[in-house]
Amino acid sequence: MGFKLKICSGLFLLGTVSGFAQENDSIVPKVNKLDEVVVTGQYNPQSVKKSVFEVKVITRADIDRQAGNNLADILNQTLNINIIPNASTGKSGVQLFGLDAQYFKILVDNIPVVNDEGLGNNTDLTQINLDDIQQIEIVEGSMGVDYGANAVSGIINIITKKSSQYKWEVTPYIQEETVGKEYNFADKGRHIQSIKIGHNFSDKFYGNAMFTRNDFKGFWNDKMGENYVNNDGLRGYEWLPKVQLNAKSLLAYTTKNYRLFYKFEFFQETTDRYSADVQQNFDPVTATDNPIAKDEIYSSTRYYHHLNASGKLSENGLNYDVSFSYQEQTRDLEKYNYRIRQQEHFGTEKLEYESRKVYYSKGFFSNFLKNETFNLQAGYEVNSVKGYITSLAGLFNGENIERELNSYDVYTSSEINFNKHFSIRPGVRMLLSSKFETQAALSLSAKYAFDSGYELRAIVGTAPRLPNFDELYTYMVDVNHNIQGNPNLNPEQGKSIFLHLKKDTKFNEAFSMQNKLSGWFMDVKDRIEMIIIQQSPLVYQYNNIDVYKTWGLSLTNTAQYKNFTGNFGVTFSGISKVLDSGVLSNDDYLYAFQLNANTSYTVPKWGTVFSAYVKYNGPQYQFVERNGTLERGKQNPFTWLDATIKKTFLDKKLEATVGARNLLDITTINTTATEAGAHSAAGTNILMGYGRSYFVKLLYKLNM
Amino acid sequence: MKSKILQLALFLILFVTASCEKDYTVEQNPFVIAFERQSIDFSTIPDQREMKLIFSEPAKTDGKISIKLSGTHASYGVDFSTLPEAQGGVLELPFTKGQSELFFTFKNLIYPFDNDEKSILMEVIAINYTGETSIQGYTTSLVSFQRSLGATLLPEIGGPNQGNQIFVDLSKETMTSSRRDVWDLGFYSGDQFRVTINGSLYMAVKKLDATNIDAVTPASVSAFQSQVAVGTFDPTNTNYVDAPNGLINQTAIAEISANDAENNVYLVNMGYTIGNTTPPAGTVAIAGDARGWKKIRVLRDGDNYMLQYADLNSTTHQQVTIAKKPDYNFTFFSLATQNVVNVEPQKNLWDLCFTVFTNEIQGSGSYGYSDFVLNNLKAGVKGYRVAVTSAVNFNNFAMANVVESNFMDDQRVIGAEWRDVFTGSAYTDRFYVIKDTDGNYYKVRMLEFLNEGGVRGYPKFEYKLIQ
Repeated sequence: MGFKLKICSGLFLLGTVSGFAQENDSIVPKVNKLDEVVVTGQYNPQSVKKSVFEVKVITRADIDRQAGNNLADILNQTLNINIIPNASTGKSGVQLFGLDAQYFKILVDNIPVVNDEGLGNNTDLTQINLDDIQQIEIVEGSMGVDYGANAVSGIINIITKKSSQYKWEVTPYIQEETVGKEYNFADKGRHIQSIKIGHNFSDKFYGNAMFTRNDFKGFWNDKMGENYVNNDGLRGYEWLPKVQLNAKSLLAYTTKNYRLFYKFEFFQETTDRYSADVQQNFDPVTATDNPIAKDEIYSSTRYYHHLNASGKLSENGLNYDVSFSYQEQTRDLEKYNYRIRQQEHFGTEKLEYESRKVYYSKGFFSNFLKNETFNLQAGYEVNSVKGYITSLAGLFNGENIERELNSYDVYTSSEINFNKHFSIRPGVRMLLSSKFETQAALSLSAKYAFDSGYELRAIVGTAPRLPNFDELYTYMVDVNHNIQGNPNLNPEQGKSIFLHLKKDTKFNEAFSMQNKLSGWFMDVKDRIEMIIIQQSPLVYQYNNIDVYKTWGLSLTNTAQYKNFTGNFGVTFSGISKVLDSGVLSNDDYLYAFQLNANTSYTVPKWGTVFSAYVKYNGPQYQFVERNGTLERGKQNPFTWLDATIKKTFLDKKLEATVGARNLLDITTINTTATEAGAHSAAGTNILMGYGRSYFVKLLYKLNM
Repeated sequence: MKSKILQLALFLILFVTASCEKDYTVEQNPFVIAFERQSIDFSTIPDQREMKLIFSEPAKTDGKISIKLSGTHASYGVDFSTLPEAQGGVLELPFTKGQSELFFTFKNLIYPFDNDEKSILMEVIAINYTGETSIQGYTTSLVSFQRSLGATLLPEIGGPNQGNQIFVDLSKETMTSSRRDVWDLGFYSGDQFRVTINGSLYMAVKKLDATNIDAVTPASVSAFQSQVAVGTFDPTNTNYVDAPNGLINQTAIAEISANDAENNVYLVNMGYTIGNTTPPAGTVAIAGDARGWKKIRVLRDGDNYMLQYADLNSTTHQQVTIAKKPDYNFTFFSLATQNVVNVEPQKNLWDLCFTVFTNEIQGSGSYGYSDFVLNNLKAGVKGYRVAVTSAVNFNNFAMANVVESNFMDDQRVIGAEWRDVFTGSAYTDRFYVIKDTDGNYYKVRMLEFLNEGGVRGYPKFEYKLIQ
């Protein structure tokens, strides 16, 4: 069996190859990228080449070479994605096409994963652990038909590993990282310990369990930590420390015609938020002080259960894939006063800060007709999300907000293969919910394969974004203020058109190349923004008012030559915001470009792979109001550069990866592109990273 | 090659590990015992007084403090004595572990007072204690017939609802409290005939065209009601409130004319009751329910005022004569209880007032402020703000630094610009010079506006006589 066939016979391609999956865990650079199998948006897992969608894949090998522990570690290097770390909350947000995390969804094994602010969207990327995953699939554009509400700018689908070729697989690893220049065992740096155990109970029954602890000690920079007594802004951390615990397990039962799996995850994250403000409590009587700080500990706990059954009813019959899931994530807050000199807590208050509890089911059915040219998929996605947010988290008139949103979606699409060159896939989804008017999402994808090897894809899609709690339920009305949410808001409407022209060229056995030119246009209408609805007395309210437009072009190239692989990509995009909400606005397109490249070189004799990753983020512009006029603010360009060396020892049992992240030592980026808030001045720089840091990862593989 | 790279990486890591240790043990204060008060008015001690000493922290071990007593025109055993008794002019007081304050009794032996030049200086001269000690802070306390040398005060404005107005007399070191909802209108006692409204309740008034109070109906004023309020962000709404600078000739209600035909009816927004909810720590709940609307008309009645008032929908009205009180800034009247009420102390017996206040934001109109501090401008108390520089600070600021031309004709010298509501701290880059009603110069610095638990509405300030 050739290697290519091995991959195709992996678990993801159901019902085509009998027997136990032969999928190899470590897809070393020899894998021909052209034959990656993707799951996202497919009726069945199939090769990238066949997919009507355009799916970007980040392989396990890519993740391993970068020693990525969570999603934020990896996505920095991806085009059109910007990771925005929030040093003061410890979260990492993300922008895709300039739209924030409310506009795209993170899925694990095809179903959205809960976080404390949403289901699938608003995910904190640092909370998505990668230790048990097979690959990451990214689809850009509005995917409302396949993935429902909030899949506006795209989706990221994380596919976990569900099989092994070994009876026993025990994989412990430790990873030690510096945080910028900071590192020690006690209170600096990043320390990761992990162990994963996989076992084939029989040829059909596979299980695994893993446990990871990721202890990020925070970025001190010039800050002085918890026990600093002065009120000069130096107390605390530049970047909050946090500890994550992650336990996951999987049981999979696979037969010729179906597979069942149950996946469980427990995740806990504790973030210490030390206030920079110190109440000095100076007493002139004794000329002594009693410094007190108001500190907070946030802890998020996630439980994730996912039961999935997929397969076919008979040899050539109906295909099905059905998931049931219960997930919850709760963020608790412990607030306390800290008497710094005495190192004493008092006035401790514990409360639930935010939570989401989700009952979820999704199913889709295809292959209704035994027909080569026509395939129909029908599916449903229903969920009940119970959301809670404490009054302390926003302006909710002192009320805790507790709301339930039930969604009942049905969708259908068909794939029509007119001939071997041309296929199309129209789709539609109806989104019914307990809260909003019925929404519709549409999609139409087409693929044309030229004889010359060129493939042309066109993908049109729509998706709504549902309003969030702030937008719906904010209520702050007092003598001086009148700011109100709007329970009658409509979902925002996103729409995208993508064109991809791709060419694979295989010059000979040793040299192959793939080139892709993409162009897109995306807009989001009815964007929700706070506007003045009455001048005197002044009343603010959230309304559907603005429009967001973006278009762009990108060129990506991949080449393999013998033991060398290289990728080079460049993207150019413009963003226009029609701000009817603003007194001053300018809807000119503002342009930016990004460039990325990576290369890896394998020396088989040494068992060593050298890799380097670079991404240039060009200047970004935004219109900002300064002294009553609109100016074009600029965020300075910056470059991420990472380099790693991975080497195996002891007959490939021991794997060592050493590397450096952020070699160009990026910390803050100067910007004039931020606006002053009602009670705050405009920032002049934003924190992007904690500077050049080094890591070493030692992984041991015991395979029996 | 490969092992070299590895060794290099490991070396780098070890290098980084070794180079970035930080020491962060917490520094501790020295142990201090000091006098609660720097100066005490002899005339307030007819018989005896408990003198209080305050510890910087509960004592960790037993110890002893020595206090030296020295009289000026006064001698121990003749003019004054103490309990326990002093030996050779020095009083020794033991304390035990866990104790955090200490008292001794000061006995006045010269009542009725014979000579106001007598004074006694008490001074901490030694603290015997295991652990680091320091003699600092209020190390002396002077019993004399003179003005206060300064103090640290905590006006009790009432926590996050800030229900009280606290009037402070700096030179007498006294504070007087009044609920801010006991009055609605203040009738000026000075030369002019002027009426002030209670800005601490966010009241607002609008002059109507009518001069017949009974002819004003809810229908005739309904068009104005959304505008006649504080915090509407309409810049012109400052016409409906008294000028926040405190100048008496800029009240919202025009000067009361001797000619009744010129005294129009006013629509009165009664503002808000004192809030009664407990907001999250660090924030305020100033305003409770809306207190509704009234209509009023004020006339002169010789040297007195004649107030006509009624509910909006009433076709009749009440009438009351209100006399000026020359010792006070205002005669206060409550429309709610229909009584003249006592609020401020006599105008020469207060310098600062801690209160909720209707201020303005330039360009945005009136805006309700909490944690506000007013100086008694109507009685001539003026001040100005001093910026801390490398040369000038609160401690070294002396009479030579006072600039007379800086004193402002504004009651908002301290105002609300002394605290940062976002960080929960009082600004340390500024302090204030206040010239009181007796011509004394004090320097004032604000210390806190939250209590130790972070709850709002607990201001603390320090002031010192500039000599």
